[in-house]
Amino acid sequence: MIGVFQASGFTSVAITHRFDCFAGTTKERTARRYGVLGVNLSAARGGA
Amino acid sequence: MAITCPVNFDVKSLREEVQSIYSRVADAPQGEFHFHRGPAYATRMLGYDSAELAALPADVTSSFAGVANPHAIAPIPNGATVVDIGCGAGMDLLLAARRVGPAGRAIGVDMTEAMRQRAAAGAAQCGLHHVDVRAGDATNLPVDTASVDIVISHGVLNLIPAKERAVAEIARILKPGGRVQIGDIVIGEVLDDKALADIDLWTG
Repeated sequence: MIGVFQASGFTSVAITHRFDCFAGTTKERTARRYGVLGVNLSAARGGA
Repeated sequence: MAITCPVNFDVKSLREEVQSIYSRVADAPQGEFHFHRGPAYATRMLGYDSAELAALPADVTSSFAGVANPHAIAPIPNGATVVDIGCGAGMDLLLAARRVGPAGRAIGVDMTEAMRQRAAAGAAQCGLHHVDVRAGDATNLPVDTASVDIVISHGVLNLIPAKERAVAEIARILKPGGRVQIGDIVIGEVLDDKALADIDLWTG
């Protein structure tokens, strides 16, 4: 996802937080298998 | 970490499945789903402020089905124009509306009618008259070009195969120097073709 934003001209693209959002759900095992995490992503549009 | 889009994916089926699931979340959030919902989850696992959530209508917070917390990235300033892409029942949208105040605007966009109804009703219940809920999807936003200070979105981009198109739309509506504050999921490894074609994984 970072790459998609960077390729679209966004700057300061960064993941700022991570969350184990599938813990305790029926998809927890699948999430662990594929390394799925909730994240916060921050970016800025250039040209200010 | 990256999300790779599959080739020849049945996008129409994915869209219908997403609408079906989130209509059910809107209508019966206490039902059985493979993801967490509600304000207690948002507070305990994602760091939302419990007092702020308690001040919102239960019809809004009970249908919350997020995976992160875009509000934790940076404060949303008074007077800003914010767009929430895929606003759902409106929890993040109404939190943003409180932060921008009457001098700002909070525009929610969602493709699921049941969710839009909840968000609009919640805004009215809270007296947030600067909230505007619109029908649309992330790849064709009903928002003017270069008119927005901050785009928030929560758990939406991962559901969209055409991610480049969605991000281009975000770039189009943002003013120069505008910010993106997104909560979403990422995958830590490259998926095989079978996994990429599995709608249950996409909607999960």
